[in-house]
Amino acid sequence: MLTSRRIFLAGLGAATVLKSTGASRAAGPRPKLILIILRGGMDGLTAIAPITDPHINTLRPHLVPKNAIALGGGFAAHPALKTWAGWAKGGQAGFIHAIAGPYRDRSHFKAQDLLETGADAVPGRDGWLARALERRPGLSALSIGPAQPLILKGAQNASSWSPAVVAPASDDTLMRLASLYADDKLLRAALEKAVETNAVAGEMGGAMRQGGFGAAGAIKAQMAGAGRLLKAQDGPDIAVIDIDGWDTHGGQINRLGRMLTALDDGLATLKSELGIMWQSSAITIVSEFGRTVRDNGGGGTDHGTGGLALLAGGQIKPGQHGDWPGLSSRALYDNRDLAPANDMYALFSGLLTDLYGFDSADLRAVFGPLTPRPISIAV
Amino acid sequence: MTLALAIAHHRFGLGPRPGDLTDRDPEAWLLSQIDPAAAQVSGGSLNSTKDALTDMQGLRNHRAALRSGNLGPEAQAALETMLNASRNSLIQDVRTRTEHGVRTAAPFAERWTRFWANHFTVAATRAETIGLVGPYEREAIRPHVFGRFGTLLEEAVLHPGMLFYLDNHRSFGPSTRLAKRLGRSLNENLAREVLELHTLGVDGGYTQVDVEALARALTGWLPFQPMSLRRKMTGKDVFVSQAHEPGAKTLLGKRYKRDGAGQVKAMLADLAEHPATARHIATKIARHFLSDTPDAGDVAALQRSFLTSGGDLAALAQTLIKRPGALETPFQKVKTPEELMLATARALGPQAAFSKMQRVVQGFAQRPFGAPSPAGWPDTADAWMSPDALAKRVDWASSVARQSKAKPDDFVAAALGPLADDSLNLAIARAESRAQGLTLAIMSPAFQRR
Repeated sequence: MLTSRRIFLAGLGAATVLKSTGASRAAGPRPKLILIILRGGMDGLTAIAPITDPHINTLRPHLVPKNAIALGGGFAAHPALKTWAGWAKGGQAGFIHAIAGPYRDRSHFKAQDLLETGADAVPGRDGWLARALERRPGLSALSIGPAQPLILKGAQNASSWSPAVVAPASDDTLMRLASLYADDKLLRAALEKAVETNAVAGEMGGAMRQGGFGAAGAIKAQMAGAGRLLKAQDGPDIAVIDIDGWDTHGGQINRLGRMLTALDDGLATLKSELGIMWQSSAITIVSEFGRTVRDNGGGGTDHGTGGLALLAGGQIKPGQHGDWPGLSSRALYDNRDLAPANDMYALFSGLLTDLYGFDSADLRAVFGPLTPRPISIAV
Repeated sequence: MTLALAIAHHRFGLGPRPGDLTDRDPEAWLLSQIDPAAAQVSGGSLNSTKDALTDMQGLRNHRAALRSGNLGPEAQAALETMLNASRNSLIQDVRTRTEHGVRTAAPFAERWTRFWANHFTVAATRAETIGLVGPYEREAIRPHVFGRFGTLLEEAVLHPGMLFYLDNHRSFGPSTRLAKRLGRSLNENLAREVLELHTLGVDGGYTQVDVEALARALTGWLPFQPMSLRRKMTGKDVFVSQAHEPGAKTLLGKRYKRDGAGQVKAMLADLAEHPATARHIATKIARHFLSDTPDAGDVAALQRSFLTSGGDLAALAQTLIKRPGALETPFQKVKTPEELMLATARALGPQAAFSKMQRVVQGFAQRPFGAPSPAGWPDTADAWMSPDALAKRVDWASSVARQSKAKPDDFVAAALGPLADDSLNLAIARAESRAQGLTLAIMSPAFQRR
């Protein structure tokens, strides 16, 4: 395995990595890439708020997190992200704001399909990560969840694993069901009662539905499993983890707070399971798009454009990466969304370059004509 | 027409498969399934009742031999194999039944069959019935669901599966020498359930005296020969006259002089045509297919059909389908977990992971052949739509959706067609992921109900 690692390094194109760490990392364990996809469109401006931006309080007065954890540079992390923020302060976590793939039309399905196949208009037939694996036959990947995500479709060297417990449906799904049940008294009453009972049980610290409606337990189980499998001898190099439930059209403050708490707890679990492998890891958390900058008048936000990528792990260069377009009316995309100042595929390319030594020919095989200049995020 | 067809598929069938919602006459489609052949299920090497009883007899003999110490060490291993045989045959039957439910092109015949299998519940909840529930349903129920109720009643009640399930194998005529020698007496379990559940109904006008009379007439119907007779089980010929309480008996005021095996058959034939039975069956049919609180007109029409046709179940099925409003919305019923699982699998198409789906549904609901009591699975929404049950359905739907590659739009087109309303289509269009869209489609009122 080490041999193939050296072969990668020999092919390294990105000077930054070679100069800084190429030699030292060749002797250590092969880097781990953990890609977490938050499905539904996470509101990045809540997770990492540009608190000193002069427009934020007028654009979304009710959605600026209180008690946010200052990160410097005008940004602050939502208090639910306390573990992640601790890492950021300790130099082991960073972020890229205002990031998006080339797609602009705000459909979840399409945006996710494009994000996973690395395309710009028509989703490809296989996943970009599968194409990347093809360039490095020594690498293997694992998806955490019952079905293999599109991003790994077509991959030879990929398997999947999911926790034995049935991951519960998300809060968000239940909210949507509530509106479908508006005219069905029986189903509506059962649903309302179920949500209520579960919430009370949760507050009392009682036994909730497996993982609870908040899905925190399921996320933790996914993260723990991923960490254990990555750390195992001959474990995979890459893991893909799916987390649903980020489409916060309403009740955003509480729901997003719960989701971010669950994510943050999950990350803490992942780190402790990874053990010393944490030092070799690059955790990358992305979503198919961001959300509108203004709130929608219903306590939530609608589908937007520029989103947030959170990064963590021993391989991550700390701080803010990429450009920040700001929230002035001139800067907003379509006068509603955070502008897509940074290219998602540049982040993916940067990861492949920094971690696995992809050169421009490798990247072209993965992203074709969309191949960007990689954003380097590794130390 | 397509709307009525979609209603027919959900209310009377098991949910449409892709391509089922084409332009065809829903009533004619339902009527065409009233056919004994449509109620059959075939599966390669399923055990017969005789096979199951032979296996049980072999097990008894083997155990007796083990006790007497005549056999070598390999005999213990053989015992394990024999113990597993009945369980394996049950697994085969569960698989065959489920796959039939998922694939059948005659889903009304299957629903009708399952109604009767539930009416005459024999569950695999005791050691003796594990190997018998499958053969029981295939041999005693399926061939007779479009025949006469009297035939079905006799076949079901006197089948070894039922005899074991409701303790008739422990029931001996109190005055017989055999009962005295074995220290046994009357067990009225089967007799009571025949009156309460299978025929007259709990308010059908019978008394304890009638229960005992029927129980006495049932003595001698043993699923195997008692050991002390030193004779082997004989399969279908299950009447052991030495265990039968001799003499005439009086049931519901009528005296049954003819003794022996035919006595209880004469009683069952009369019970089958009793007006209370007609009312009980009519109410259960209407409640199962039409509404938890059935319309009095529907019940009366079914009751009339049952009585005037002499319990002709094909005529009863026709009456049901032709009831006014039978092919109209709104849906009054909630699908049971099993119906939900089958409808989901049918709509997802043959590539769906049935066994996985079933494993999950078993976790929260209806284990096939696993009804909790002789009354069978409950048939009203209050049993299936509690807050906890709903939460489990959502979790199940969500896990099925995550494992499926189906597009929500395709699922809705195949499964609901014109039953999908704007709010569902909109909710799916706005779903945050395919899996969520599919979850919402499965959990939509139109799909949860029937």
